Amino acid sequence: MSADKLKIAIYSGDIPSTTFIENLIEALSEQEFEVYLFGKLRRKVNYKENIKLFPTPQSSLRLIIFVILEGAKLFIKNKSKFNKTIKQLKNKNKNKKSFVRNLGFILPVLNNQPDIFHIQWAKTVNLNYELYNLLDCKIAVSLRGAHINYSPLNDPELKKAYEIYFPKTDGFHAVSKAIAGEAVKYGADKNKIRVIHSSVKDEFLLSNAIRKNRNDIFEIISIGRHHWKKGYHYALDAMNYLKEEGFKFNYTIIAQGDIPEEILFLLNEYRLNDHVKIIKGMEHVKLMEKLKSSDLLLLPSVEEGIANVALEAMSSGVTTLSTDCGGMNEVIHNGENGFIIPVRDPKSISGKIMEISRSDPETLLNISLNALDTIKTEFSREKQKREFSEFYNSLVDG
Amino acid sequence: MKIGIVLSGIPKYSETFFHYKIKGLSEAGFEVKIFTGDKRQKEFPYKQYPAYPVLSGKPLRQFFLTLIILIKTLFIAPKRFLRLYSGEMKDGKSIGEILKTIYINAHIITHELDWLHFGFAATAIRRELAAGVMGAKMGVSFRGYDINIYPLKNPGCYDRLWKNVDKVHTISEYLFQKAVSMGLNSKTPHEKITPAIEPDKFKIRNSDGSLGNRIHILTVGRLNWIKDYETAIETMKILKSKGISFDYNIIGSGSELERLKFAVYQSGLENEVNFFGIKSHEEVRVLMMNTDIYLQTSMQEGFCVSVLEAQAAGLPCIVSDADGLRENVIDNFTGWIVKKRRPDLFAKKIIEVIKMSNEERLEIMNNARARAEKDFSIKLQNEKFRNFFLQI
Repeated sequence: MSADKLKIAIYSGDIPSTTFIENLIEALSEQEFEVYLFGKLRRKVNYKENIKLFPTPQSSLRLIIFVILEGAKLFIKNKSKFNKTIKQLKNKNKNKKSFVRNLGFILPVLNNQPDIFHIQWAKTVNLNYELYNLLDCKIAVSLRGAHINYSPLNDPELKKAYEIYFPKTDGFHAVSKAIAGEAVKYGADKNKIRVIHSSVKDEFLLSNAIRKNRNDIFEIISIGRHHWKKGYHYALDAMNYLKEEGFKFNYTIIAQGDIPEEILFLLNEYRLNDHVKIIKGMEHVKLMEKLKSSDLLLLPSVEEGIANVALEAMSSGVTTLSTDCGGMNEVIHNGENGFIIPVRDPKSISGKIMEISRSDPETLLNISLNALDTIKTEFSREKQKREFSEFYNSLVDG
Repeated sequence: MKIGIVLSGIPKYSETFFHYKIKGLSEAGFEVKIFTGDKRQKEFPYKQYPAYPVLSGKPLRQFFLTLIILIKTLFIAPKRFLRLYSGEMKDGKSIGEILKTIYINAHIITHELDWLHFGFAATAIRRELAAGVMGAKMGVSFRGYDINIYPLKNPGCYDRLWKNVDKVHTISEYLFQKAVSMGLNSKTPHEKITPAIEPDKFKIRNSDGSLGNRIHILTVGRLNWIKDYETAIETMKILKSKGISFDYNIIGSGSELERLKFAVYQSGLENEVNFFGIKSHEEVRVLMMNTDIYLQTSMQEGFCVSVLEAQAAGLPCIVSDADGLRENVIDNFTGWIVKKRRPDLFAKKIIEVIKMSNEERLEIMNNARARAEKDFSIKLQNEKFRNFFLQI
């Protein structure tokens, strides 16, 4: 039966990968595909049987043995491909170590070629451009976040690689319309891009929106790692304005990693310690509980693809306020299913928060209902599965 | 008089402040020894004593090296070794910690000094007792980062410094007050000695106060969050929306280039904003001569020598109300001060300055230049440093 199945390699570099890539892998495995995973095995994984692992060992000795065995395999199978590979990688890698490591990555791919090699992080196009010269299958690239939105602005080499290899790419998956537009600037063919939104797991979906009892103190929450693009410094400006207005609120940031100097500085500068709490990560179940108990999810980012946390808030009945960055306005329609404000504008954040806090419960309930509806129709697991299926099939058919 | 100055590294080319200070002290007849975390550098023309290395990832070699250094120190300066040991013991440190501390201090405590001066407060951490065991006075310099930011990440890091320091050099009054708010005794002798400039090196572009048709705006400084270039870029976005013809030039390098280039791109300012990277002092002066308005939007500054240089060059300066800047610029007299993190107010002020008459602008520019020459000259700074070590 596996003979008819389309073989899709999902390549992110790491096994297992980030949450949303793992979600994609799971969604694909529930369908008629066989999923191939290449890259470094970071920890033990338990996948379904139609997910096949071809991990590259990490320790030097094992890597060398692996490369010899895989090399021999390719040599027997296809001598000219073997020679071509060696030649390519010798040109590319100046030192032996990176040459061997590079072989360790590419050989298992060549020995187990899928029908579609799907690159999850666009920077791979620059790091492993040999894929384009050595693979005989279709190549797809996902267009996500920073890799498209700002990395090439400050990395001329990456920009050049995009301009060379995007036109040679068979198909693109874009996480939002906005990011598709950015990729076109680097030579991606508009007609080869398919916008497929991420999805919210069904278990997070609220069956129905609930009317919230408002406390005296307005509970605001932001979730996402510490990084300048998350715009927490603008959020703190806004909290300072709220404090100056005498507005009663608590603001919780749940973010992995150390608190950056900039955030520590602003907390101290605005004397916000009584109002703002920063929590260093939380397990997902608790996180969802904390989210659900909040009055508002604030997404103060300056850059996003489409932020999953906003989708999760909308699916769990929490009012969502987001900046108009990346693809966020493809999800949130201001005043209908959530609220949108301009990027980099703390006054708008604080103003909108006060406005939302004064809205009557009926209005907010309606907004929650609409938000839930948006998630159910636009961001469902079923829709995502169907669209990926169409995307891959169109790649091999076309 | 013998003065030891402890620095984390040999002063970089851009850290003119240290170069002037060390040169001034040497010329005044002090014997200056520099204790650094760097290797010896030939081009740096003063006596250098590098700290013993920290060999991360090589525990065995570190162990033997530490052992040798400790034995050597015990042999050369047994009393000081024991004084440091018992001093640290009194502060409740474990034996392992104490031996580590002695290793960290070993390149210093074998010297004969009248003063041991720490170039940054942070370089004094774990060396608080060094001056005492040598029978020297302990001095420390307060600068922006080590007072404003470092303690936020390391609460209580200066508690032992506050207890042991004999005299404080601060580059602005507010830094001293901030240290007092963190526990320094307010009666600790202290001297405010700001960064200084050589006024003759700065020329004024035009003497009638007029501006070009296209306004050239300049900032000089590391690309670091504390300089808050995002606010500057947002300000430019507002200027552009008001139809003002301008360019904004940024001199400096740093880790935030990607973040700032994205802000420029997102704000549609690719044609207006230029990142020049690092430039030599000479090149900066040339660019200053071609500048109409100097802008400094920093969230915080110790003092900010770039703003001082811009005033010396006779540029109209618009700066944020960061504490150090409020001592650097006199509002409406040598420049203009605007609330930090407020692009709307910065834009308003820039427009106000553009619309001003040439005479009004010229008056401010002249005031700034005169004050820089009079109050912030290298000559004056050298005198103050000499007195700093002579009087207590």
